[in-house]
Amino acid sequence: MNCKKTEKWLLRSLDGRLDGHERDLLGEHLEACPACRKAATEYRSMLTLLRDDRGASPLPRFWERLEPRLREEREIVPLVFWERWSLRAIPVFLAIVVLAGAALLFTPRSREMTRSEALLLENIDPLTESSQIFSADKAETSNMMLIFDSLEERTPVRRPTP
Amino acid sequence: MEEKQLARLAQQGSPAAFEELVTKYQSKVFRMALSFTRNREAADDLAQEVFLKAYLALPRFHGRSEFGTWLYRISINHIKDFLRKKGRAKEVALDDVSEISFSDKEQTAKAERERDTEARRALVQRTVQGLPEKYRVILTLRDIQGLAYEDISRVLRLSPGTVDSRLFRARRMLRGKLAPFIAGQGGAYEL
Repeated sequence: MNCKKTEKWLLRSLDGRLDGHERDLLGEHLEACPACRKAATEYRSMLTLLRDDRGASPLPRFWERLEPRLREEREIVPLVFWERWSLRAIPVFLAIVVLAGAALLFTPRSREMTRSEALLLENIDPLTESSQIFSADKAETSNMMLIFDSLEERTPVRRPTP
Repeated sequence: MEEKQLARLAQQGSPAAFEELVTKYQSKVFRMALSFTRNREAADDLAQEVFLKAYLALPRFHGRSEFGTWLYRISINHIKDFLRKKGRAKEVALDDVSEISFSDKEQTAKAERERDTEARRALVQRTVQGLPEKYRVILTLRDIQGLAYEDISRVLRLSPGTVDSRLFRARRMLRGKLAPFIAGQGGAYEL
């Protein structure tokens, strides 16, 4: 057994983590090795001094001092919760406004169909009426047809042509 | 009553249940804080803050681990935060020796011996403060708090093998740092 291994076993033995056989081997080495014996004494003292702190206790009336702080926290917590959420609500609200604006801006509006579109939808040539206007014999007739046509309501239903 | 049951009652708003948990753990949390701060008042304040934090975090305690393990995790994180904020991670409390020494009037042999022990204890504890954080934490949990290896493994979320090797390195490093102060190695103290 070498000194390096002894150091490991020594520290384990101080935690009570060696079995009987390992303890015997460690004991044999310590008996024969003054350096490891010295290390064992130093480790033992060092840990004893560290473990001395185990007796320390907090200042008196620990709970009596803590309890009012807990009560205070209990009262503050709902307020803190609301404040935290109200602060988070501002960016959420702004994001909703921006999204709604964007949706309004980019959504295509449903618009009224033009007469030509309505005619095309009915699979009728939209130029039929126009060609009749332009092919009228007299200029007056053509003008009257144009006037009546412009006064006509924009409707997908086509008025039967005379 | 079992701890988990107490924690459940505390979650439901029972101050008596939480008081019982505080009574059970106050010394352990205090000693942990003391081992890092080396100041009783600061350690007491920290311990109070740890319990406040635990109280506020109670709704998030689901009982998957033991209450003690959960509380130790909160304590370690809170103490680390405190030390980082104060920039005291590596600071050594030089006043500790004089603070815990006996007055000059007590010159009896017993008082001398006790004073010597206190000085040595302070030296060891100051030296612990100079260790890297991960070694300080593991030394505190094992050698000051007296936690079992398995509990340390759960608190620090480390494998038992890592706990074993890290603890070994921490103790060896501590002994190495104490070497200059040890009699026979040029120092004044006989450990």
